[in-house]
Amino acid sequence: MMEALNYFATSWISPELMALTALGTFLGVYIGAIPGLSVTMAVSILISFTFSWDVNNALCLMVGIFMGGVYGGSRTAILLNIPGAPSAIATALDGYPMALKGEAGEAIGLSTVMSVVGGFVGIIVLALAAPMVSEFALKFQPRDYLMLGVLGIMLVGSLSGNNLTKGVFAGAFGMLIGTVGLDPLTAEERFTFGVVELWNGINPIAVMIGLFGVSEALTQLHYMNKAAIKQKIDRIIPRWSDIKKYLPLSLQTSTIGVIVGALPGTGGDIAALMAYDHAKRVTKNPEVPFGQGAKEGLIAPEAANNAAVGGAYIPMLTLGIPGDAVTAVFLGALFIHGLNPGPLLLTENPGMFWFTVGNLTLANIFVLVFGLTGIKLFSKIVECPKGILIPLILLLSVVGAYAINNSIADIWWMLGFGVIGYFMKQYDYQVGPVILGVILSRLMDENWRRAIISERESLPDFFINLLSSPLSFVLFISIVLIFISQTPLWTKAKAAVFRKTV
Amino acid sequence: MPTIRAKKPGETLFGFLVLAFSLFLFWQAYEISGFSALSSPGAFPIAASGIMVVASCISLLKDLKRPAEIGGFEVFWSNVLPPIVSIMIAIIFIFGIALDTLGFIISALLFLIISIQFLHQKGLVRSILLSLLALTIIYIIFRLVFSVILPEGIIPEREIMAWIGSLFK
Repeated sequence: MMEALNYFATSWISPELMALTALGTFLGVYIGAIPGLSVTMAVSILISFTFSWDVNNALCLMVGIFMGGVYGGSRTAILLNIPGAPSAIATALDGYPMALKGEAGEAIGLSTVMSVVGGFVGIIVLALAAPMVSEFALKFQPRDYLMLGVLGIMLVGSLSGNNLTKGVFAGAFGMLIGTVGLDPLTAEERFTFGVVELWNGINPIAVMIGLFGVSEALTQLHYMNKAAIKQKIDRIIPRWSDIKKYLPLSLQTSTIGVIVGALPGTGGDIAALMAYDHAKRVTKNPEVPFGQGAKEGLIAPEAANNAAVGGAYIPMLTLGIPGDAVTAVFLGALFIHGLNPGPLLLTENPGMFWFTVGNLTLANIFVLVFGLTGIKLFSKIVECPKGILIPLILLLSVVGAYAINNSIADIWWMLGFGVIGYFMKQYDYQVGPVILGVILSRLMDENWRRAIISERESLPDFFINLLSSPLSFVLFISIVLIFISQTPLWTKAKAAVFRKTV
Repeated sequence: MPTIRAKKPGETLFGFLVLAFSLFLFWQAYEISGFSALSSPGAFPIAASGIMVVASCISLLKDLKRPAEIGGFEVFWSNVLPPIVSIMIAIIFIFGIALDTLGFIISALLFLIISIQFLHQKGLVRSILLSLLALTIIYIIFRLVFSVILPEGIIPEREIMAWIGSLFK
């Protein structure tokens, strides 16, 4: 116990490690906030910088960036309606409407505090229940991963718009984009049209910057004549009564966040969307309707996505399986530094585990510090006239797309998806499900094939086994229920049939 | 009963394009490995594009039932694709082409000056100064702090950096 505490405090006592964690968190908040710059990108660039560093120093910096970045994505989601990271997609749904009403400061303050609450819940669960949760995750069958993917896409498809059909279309479109290139299992060409450059597929970050950066900037051009909305950011420290009121909900969604984050392959993005859905269902009488600036809709995903950080560490450290793209990059960093994340890490190198837990805790405290300060500086970007802001967003999108692979082709993909996204938005198609489809495509494809191969290509066997496993059954039922409850057609059809027979 | 929104101009055409695109992708997905096996490389793409075909059919049918668009082409050019949007799309595509040949610094500067002048309309001098300021900050953050490599083009950036570096030695 003392030994664990000793390791836990390593980064708290050393001024150097503490400063690096602070720097990382600070950078993370701003990197996460700048559209086009992702935490994944920052961490991957940093791997090459910190390659020769001492492992503790490198980890402090990167943990800070991770923690700060997951939080930072919420800022642009609230102020600009551009999620800085996929995990902030759900934050924009109610955060931006709040900002439009002049409550940006309150929104940022609340989301900061609840992010930190979520972060702590995640860390506590990581510290206490890591072995238990990892055992649970081990029981997941390929078909369960597949259904989790379906669930995630359906959730974002149904909740981000009012049109489930178009949401489903967008999700499927995203999944298809994700399959472009050489098949990872058989190296067969898919949708490459004989072009060798397409073998590696379309870069998801380019798609994301296009759909969220460029298409949003183009859509904003419609509102040029309207005076730029001054986002009043007067009150940042949230009201104590608000914190008390929403603490139970944020603890609930933090729990969702940890569990979803701990499932291999799912991270903050799905956690946040599920949390948003949860908040929508448990809040009977919101003061403000969801989608129009409900505080519940803001804090639920924010608490969940930061809780998912702690959760994502569980499979990463104990199983060596990444929870999402960022943890995948992180995993690479750990390998480079000669650590072997996996079932043996906890027994062979407990110091590493407790050091990471302590580090995450420290970074989470810094999120609170940097989250509640410096917002005035950040909000200057928003007060900047649209005529300057839009060219800047477009330029940053181009820089961001180029920076992924130093490839001009990625810029063209980014611009192409920007224009497609613009028209999709004009005709009520949601772009959120596309991104989720792209991110989850490979996971779903591989797990579908693993699942069906293990059933010897027999669809009836697949369903029999699916229904006989409690876990799969629960997942399957949730998919069916969500589909039915979210389809207005269903109720309408029922009503129509009813009227005709009468 | 939810209010039925009148169609936007071009919505039906877009619906048809989406359906045609989905059918094309479905055919392409089928070409990968046909219906040979449930675990074939083409199975997942067939499923995804199949969902696209079905979903786009449903939404097209729903669209056809909705009241027709008002105004036609004129409204399309004012509400869906106003000149300001198409001009910006053109500017950014030209920027993309220029980036490859002229390099980041020159093309980004021109892009910022032209687009800020076009959108902000507060005088050319102001646009140029604003663009220079913005580009300097972006260059420092991305090129120098994050070491993002940007297309060099016709300005011998590395030589200049090396020369500046040598001044401090």
